[in-house]
Amino acid sequence: MIRTILTQAAAAILATGLAHAQDFPAGSVDYIIPFGPGGESDITARLQQPYFQDLYGEQMVISYQPGGGGAVGWAQLNGMAEDGTVIMGINLPHIIVKPKQGNVGFETEDLAAVYWFHYTPDAILVRADSEIETLDQLIEQARANPRQVIFSGSGKGSANHLAQLQFDEMADIETTYVAFDGTGSAVTALLGGQVTAEWGYTTVGSGQGDEVRMLAVAMEERHPAFPDVPTFKEQGYDLVSGAYRGIAVPQDASEEVKQQVSDAIAAINADPEFQQKMIDGGFAMADVPYGEEMDAFMAEKAEEYLPAAREAGIIE
Amino acid sequence: MLDFMANAISPFNLLLALLGVAAGTIIGSIPGLTATMAVAVLVPLTFTMSPDSALILMGAIYTGAIYGGAYAAILLNTPGTPSAIATTFDGYPMAKRGDGDLAVTIACLSSVFGGLVGALALLFLAPPLARAALAFGPVEYFWLAVFGLSLIAAVSTGDFLKGVIGACFGLLIATIGVSETSAEVRFTFGSRMLLGGVETVSALIGLYCIPVLIDLVATPDRHLDEAGGGMRGFRLLEAGRVMLQNGVNVLRSSVIGTMVGALPGAGGSIAGLVAYSEARRNGRGVEKYGEGNPGGIVATESANNATVGGGFIPTLVLGIPGTPPDAVILGALLVQGVRTGPTLFQGSADIVYTFIFGLLLATVLMLPVGLLIGRFAYGAILKAPKAALVPVVAFMTVIGTFAIRNNVSDIYIMIVLGVVGWLAAKRGFGASPIVLGLILGSIAEQGFVQSWTIGSAIGDLWGQFFGRPISLVIIALTVLSFLYPFWPQIRRIAGRSDDATPADMVDRPRAGGRMVAWDLLGFAVFGAVAALVLVQSAGLNPEAAVFPRTIATVMVVVVVASVAKLMLTRHVTGEPVRGSLIRSASVPAAMLLAAALIPLAGFALAAALLGAVLTVPAQHESFSRRGWIFLLGSVLAVVLGVVLLFDLGLNVPLP
Repeated sequence: MIRTILTQAAAAILATGLAHAQDFPAGSVDYIIPFGPGGESDITARLQQPYFQDLYGEQMVISYQPGGGGAVGWAQLNGMAEDGTVIMGINLPHIIVKPKQGNVGFETEDLAAVYWFHYTPDAILVRADSEIETLDQLIEQARANPRQVIFSGSGKGSANHLAQLQFDEMADIETTYVAFDGTGSAVTALLGGQVTAEWGYTTVGSGQGDEVRMLAVAMEERHPAFPDVPTFKEQGYDLVSGAYRGIAVPQDASEEVKQQVSDAIAAINADPEFQQKMIDGGFAMADVPYGEEMDAFMAEKAEEYLPAAREAGIIE
Repeated sequence: MLDFMANAISPFNLLLALLGVAAGTIIGSIPGLTATMAVAVLVPLTFTMSPDSALILMGAIYTGAIYGGAYAAILLNTPGTPSAIATTFDGYPMAKRGDGDLAVTIACLSSVFGGLVGALALLFLAPPLARAALAFGPVEYFWLAVFGLSLIAAVSTGDFLKGVIGACFGLLIATIGVSETSAEVRFTFGSRMLLGGVETVSALIGLYCIPVLIDLVATPDRHLDEAGGGMRGFRLLEAGRVMLQNGVNVLRSSVIGTMVGALPGAGGSIAGLVAYSEARRNGRGVEKYGEGNPGGIVATESANNATVGGGFIPTLVLGIPGTPPDAVILGALLVQGVRTGPTLFQGSADIVYTFIFGLLLATVLMLPVGLLIGRFAYGAILKAPKAALVPVVAFMTVIGTFAIRNNVSDIYIMIVLGVVGWLAAKRGFGASPIVLGLILGSIAEQGFVQSWTIGSAIGDLWGQFFGRPISLVIIALTVLSFLYPFWPQIRRIAGRSDDATPADMVDRPRAGGRMVAWDLLGFAVFGAVAALVLVQSAGLNPEAAVFPRTIATVMVVVVVASVAKLMLTRHVTGEPVRGSLIRSASVPAAMLLAAALIPLAGFALAAALLGAVLTVPAQHESFSRRGWIFLLGSVLAVVLGVVLLFDLGLNVPLP
């Protein structure tokens, strides 16, 4: 009896002590995904959810505000609560490329990105029974039959599409890219033999297992879940790319709030169990925190995406 | 196998299945709350469960929601979920004539049957069906959408050409916003409100439900006829007889539902439309399809519930979601560490089979649960005085529309489309062709642009569109379905019919100058829309422009043809405007005001005001003071109760 009281008291003191050390968060946190449920943004948010609750003892409530390929949510972010109780998922290349495609209600600079926590590396995949075994064979076939090597991919002006454009230029080939409305339908087209190959993500390799063969992944090093799949770099093409996912807060949030949210996402990212779950799902970890690192990263990405998109006529 | 079955009927799983079906049915019955949302809300709850229990709960709520969509379709002419669109075609006419109870029971029996067929296919035929679904490429999806559009002929109220114009209008509305295939911003006219496009479910609510509300307040007539003198039980025997008469129909529709469900990305709305189309073509019965033939409900409801099991086929076998709710379930499983896809059936067979038996169980439980809730829903709508029904339903359309993607703009779009739908219906342009266009637009466009890209790359456009065997089958069915309504005329022209002249070929009265002028105005408006699209698409890149330009061109041609026909025959279709225009106008006006109030005063206050204000135009008899207090009190109680439920129970971030 006494022991229980003592432990409870100790726990209470510990809890208040922690609460004093960090007045973040000010309550339950609304995590808005500017897409519908079931996509990569949703899944990774769901993976973060329990770790946030463990770390901060507050609920993280995920809601969806889809429309315009994310634009509807992003255009509204700056009108929301600035105390760190509202955070929103952001994606690359979307938030850099979209505003250049027309009036989408926001500019890249309007979004206060505070952390990029992972990315899905681009990868070329073929069906397991395809005659194409290596990247070189694919290039050879594309040289012999210009435009006739057809890729499925998720979206136009997306990571998959920009990778296709960049790689075509690097390898000096001409291929055809067919945009689908998501990874699911792009994979369906691949498995159904409607296309030669897919510009997809490493997550597809995780999901499809033996049904598909990854020819190369666009990472600095090989993906831990696929030690046998070479990188583009190893094969002589300097292609490191993918779709990054991160967190933004309303622009007028204080520097302190921005830093606190950044720290919170970093703390989740540091959990080894979380990392393992992400890697098993085919994701790759990224750690770009708020501050100078973020500014440099965004500048570098803009320089990478915009010329490629301009050349392909996606933007003016 | 027996182990898995025993596992599925453990008391805990049984309870989950029961709760899931009941909750799903209620959620699905509310327009705006879709099966996808019902499942998404549950996801955090399932993290504390074992994967098989989580799957059973999500499967149960999903299947319940698909069935629940039938209530609003039958009783309010508003599909609760997009899957129930075709249920409105015959369900609402049945309810109007006093057979709403029978319609709800038929929907329940059909849903259970379809659900069982889908789940059994999942149990026994999953791998081969998943492989077969992969044979469907972009071209086949395109032709499938065109097949869905062939229903225009059936759902046009009186004038086929007006139906085509309406469908083109719907197809064009579907292209507003950021294009899925070219990522270009189209037809938003710089408005941020249109950036996200016209959300399908909110458009359905507007086009179907708002006209019903407007017409409800206009006259003192009852909403539904009370032919049998009130509640007559479940009418199970009668419903059973209908099911027996529709034996072939229910089997065919369940199979169609299973197969369409297994096609990733097609989903329940297309399954219901395809099954309805086939049932109509093969249909016999006293009532015509579209005028209250129970066969229409049987076809749609068995098909859409069959998509639940069917949709799980690619989800579990290929790791590719068959329908939108499946995408959420797939994500939830991934978070739990269960890998779906090729390895699942080998690696985690216990989870899969326990789940499938759980789904079968939930479907069976839907029979008693669905009948009971259905009876309650029918009673509530039948007995509610108009002055309570109108404000509550109007409020539900507002909150339901907001909840779809937590966006106030969608409420405005919904109301405006509702008024457009009402006006169009008065001029003989029914809502259903517009809805067909809207629902099938993005699938048709994506399939078309993708096939075009592939066809140009391989240098064989003709072969791509017309050279693939599955495509040819769908094209043949489409042609049959388009021609079917004109069969009597075709036979007569061929000179082989001894029938008396069909009713619709009797000399129709020639309309007066004023009516003709009104009809001309209607055509002029739609012609102007098409012209605007043609002008606007000039500035788009070819990929973004090809589809809207083609549709707008067709629309212009049909408008010109219609005007020519009108001048020749002077035959006008349309509905008369009945009752008080002021009362009618007050419904959308009050709703627009409430939408404008939401950001200023918050959702609860705006909703309460909307509810209170709308009791006035909806009330036709004089009322005692006590009556008013009771009425206002109950309307406000329902409104605030639902606001709380959405806010706390469903985590909808209401402003």
